[in-house]
Amino acid sequence: MNTKLLSLNEATRTVNSGSNKVTLLDKINLQVNEGEFISLMGPSGSGKSTLLNCIGMLDEFTGGGYTFLGEPVHSMKEKNRSKLYKEYIGFVFQAYHLIDELNVWENIETPLLYKNIKSSERKALVADMLDRFNIVGKKDLFPQQLSGGQQQLVGIARALIGKPKLILADEPTGNLNSTQSTEIMELFSQLNKEGVTIIQATHSEQNAVYGSRIINLLDGKIVEE
Amino acid sequence: MIINYIKIAFRSLLKNKGYSFLNIFGLSIGITCASLIFLWVEDEVSFNTSFPNQDQVYYVPTNQNYEGEWRTFYSTPGPLAKDMLNEIPGIEKATRSSSEERLFKVGDNSITKRGRYADADFLDIFSLKFIEGNRETAFTNPEAIVLTQETAEQLFGKGEKALGNIVVVSNKDNYLVTGVIENLPKNVTFPLDWVAPFERYSDGAEWMTEYGSNFSDTFVRLSPEANFETVDGKLRQFMQQKDDDNDSYAFLHSIKDWHLRSKFEGGEIVGGRITYVRLFTIIAFIILLIACINFMNLSTARSEKRANEVGVRKAMGSSRSRLITQFISESLILAFIAALVSVVFLAVLLPQFNLIIEKDLTLGLGNPIHILVLLSITTICGVFAGLYPAFYLSSFKPVEVLKGLKVSQKSANVIRKGLVVGQFTISIVFIIFTILVYQQIQHAKNRELGYDKEQLLSMRIDREFIPKFDVIQKELIRTGSVKNATLCNSELTSGGNNGSGFTWKGGTDTEDVLISFRNVTESFFETTGMVIIEGRGFNKNHEIDSTSVLISESLAKLMGDENPIGNIIGRGDDRLEIVGVVKDYIYGDMFSTSDPVLFMNYPPYARYMFIKTKDGVPMDRALSDIETVLKTHNPAYPFEYTFVDDTFNAKFKNEQLVGELSQIFAILAILISCLGLFGLAAYTAEQRSKEIGVRKVLGASISGIVKLLSKDFLKLVGISIIISVPIAWYATYSWLQDYAYRIEINWLVFVIAGILAVVIALATVSFQAVKAAIANPVNSLKTE
Repeated sequence: MNTKLLSLNEATRTVNSGSNKVTLLDKINLQVNEGEFISLMGPSGSGKSTLLNCIGMLDEFTGGGYTFLGEPVHSMKEKNRSKLYKEYIGFVFQAYHLIDELNVWENIETPLLYKNIKSSERKALVADMLDRFNIVGKKDLFPQQLSGGQQQLVGIARALIGKPKLILADEPTGNLNSTQSTEIMELFSQLNKEGVTIIQATHSEQNAVYGSRIINLLDGKIVEE
Repeated sequence: MIINYIKIAFRSLLKNKGYSFLNIFGLSIGITCASLIFLWVEDEVSFNTSFPNQDQVYYVPTNQNYEGEWRTFYSTPGPLAKDMLNEIPGIEKATRSSSEERLFKVGDNSITKRGRYADADFLDIFSLKFIEGNRETAFTNPEAIVLTQETAEQLFGKGEKALGNIVVVSNKDNYLVTGVIENLPKNVTFPLDWVAPFERYSDGAEWMTEYGSNFSDTFVRLSPEANFETVDGKLRQFMQQKDDDNDSYAFLHSIKDWHLRSKFEGGEIVGGRITYVRLFTIIAFIILLIACINFMNLSTARSEKRANEVGVRKAMGSSRSRLITQFISESLILAFIAALVSVVFLAVLLPQFNLIIEKDLTLGLGNPIHILVLLSITTICGVFAGLYPAFYLSSFKPVEVLKGLKVSQKSANVIRKGLVVGQFTISIVFIIFTILVYQQIQHAKNRELGYDKEQLLSMRIDREFIPKFDVIQKELIRTGSVKNATLCNSELTSGGNNGSGFTWKGGTDTEDVLISFRNVTESFFETTGMVIIEGRGFNKNHEIDSTSVLISESLAKLMGDENPIGNIIGRGDDRLEIVGVVKDYIYGDMFSTSDPVLFMNYPPYARYMFIKTKDGVPMDRALSDIETVLKTHNPAYPFEYTFVDDTFNAKFKNEQLVGELSQIFAILAILISCLGLFGLAAYTAEQRSKEIGVRKVLGASISGIVKLLSKDFLKLVGISIIISVPIAWYATYSWLQDYAYRIEINWLVFVIAGILAVVIALATVSFQAVKAAIANPVNSLKTE
């Protein structure tokens, strides 16, 4: 259980806002092992989302080193990086971000399309996932026809379909009521037990405790573990 | 993957019905319009292609020098064809030919048909296909005639044998049908219904065997090995070698150029209909461009809606190229739907279009080339229109769009504005061009013609008619419906016979002046309304007045200070005394100055009768009175006539076509542009709904907000006006250069076009602006 999944070494992210250089992440050092469930906490603007996006390779660190599964992400070409995250990382968003024009089945199927998986295999995988999440009956519905909790369920199913090693969840329950929140967190907990590494950003103490490790961020720095 | 794209494309189309409608409708109008033009172009370029040996068939025009200027005529000296054939190597076949209209009669059936007198080689040069009889022997009998199948059927009846039967021509000559040929297709420069041996026409006339006068058409076919340059070079020297006095020369004009490149200036081809073919092809692409611009504008305008999807897909592992593929497939799907819609439009509109262009175009969906062209247009539109939105949309960064950050639309905004300016510039150019073409046509139509074309009938007559004319004229006037009647050797609106080599007192180089001849009766001037401004008219008895002539004003001017009355015009041994001067009249090219005219009192050469009906007499009564008189005195001929003002209007066919088409294109360009503007205004209003809400809460008036929203668009239209004015000016200026008699471009036209564009744009935009302005601000503010 102690295989190293990723490590950040003095990872920094700055942006230019007008003539000012703003540091969003300041020399972050972090090691994540496979099977961990990390909760990132901190007030708005502390850099939680930025850290998640950078780890998820949707965004880039502007300084320091980032190693994912032993590979140096910071010196990697865009193409390889995209290959890497397509293979190993799944995203769950606060606003679910399902594609409105696609129904449940198709939304879950989408990542598989980008992995060039054969149609028959895709069918089997999606069917399994629907089954596992108990949403078989909803497979033909469109996002607008679902409740928030159901939409987030589909969002998680979509994140999981590619069998990622790491799930990055940015405020996954931010738009949900407390019952729905608990359900989703229970699900994460369950997934974690099955071996999926999870990093979530959250405001809620209640949700944070589901994690095996809590990291507090303030002004782009890790202040407490 | 593709199925996924198609699925999402259709769902997104259905979800955004208004947007889809604007896009598909706009694009289908564009495709319809371009398809109509391409069908027309296809027909234009197909002219004469039904004849084989395209590389070897030539017309032989001559260049003649008058007053220092080379002018091109299709008439050649009679012996040219035969001499070329015998003396210029490489010429395989050659024929004289003359296009004539004749009355044919079989039993009680009589019809007038246009055809050609020609030598036997004519049949080979044009590879006429014989259904009955054969090409080799058709002209061995000097009394032969070859009819097209249609003519044969009309004369002898369907299914009846024509071969070997007699046709009576002009009520006196018997012709023996020695062949029936397939009808010529519609798209030939020289349609014909019959061919008969040339000797029957020349009838041993001596002048037809000399180099002195040009009267016959000459067609040749080169041998396959012959080199065009060599033959043409020899031909250009040929006429001078034959006739020292002759400074004109003949040359070869390829069958491939007859239809599209037959306008000569200074003895060289300077274009012709090809100008319009090119112009309209460009217009087709411009209209497509406008339609594609709509698509781009609307797609990028609603990019915020798509931004989220782009972010999600990228987060799910989609590469940029996959997104580009997705967006282009979407625009392709849209383009194909538009193409299907436009096929329906085409089916509905083609008959109307045919009426305007006076053609018989068909959709021809069974024709693989048509399908291929339609598919190509569609694909090009789809890809072209989708390209920019695809690159633009796929460039969004997932981090930004998923966070809900506003996508910076700066670059897209600039491009969008540029595209709107482009659309409106094109539309305004069309508007201006349309107005000016219309003005130019009206200008020429309202031109002082020198005669009165109203209530004037024209009828073709044969020689046999002429001795009866005096009686018929008296009878016609006696009916009370007819003011007067006259005879003339040519139509009023067209050129007719002409010649040079005249001498008179006063002026210089008189022999160089090309003069048209009109052989008329004494009643000519009264009937046509031409005005004698000096001297007298003709004597009723042409025999005692045969050396008197009237001349046109322009000819009188060439005599300088010399008094024209009493001046003697000489040519060879002829001496003609000028007894009167007639105000110039316009014939031939309605947009230029006509050559000087010499009127002679010599009805025996007449080919046409003109009848002027009395004012106030209903035309149908006049016509029936005329018919009665003619049926009594000239029973053998059918009562066939044309109105001179119709013939006159037909002279403007080309310009009328350009005018009408450019009007259609102007309307379509405006319509498509407005569809785009409408959509764009809707999105702008939507984007700014929060701003509008805040402003209203702060006390802004509805009119203030409408102004705010419309202002930006009007600015764009303003820029379009500024750009379009020089373009339109240049375009119309160049077009007008083709016409000697033309309008001055009036700056008011630009003002009117500008105002029109502003009004149309304002009407389009204000609908959305008003809608946004009267919306309740609570709704727009709550949603944030």
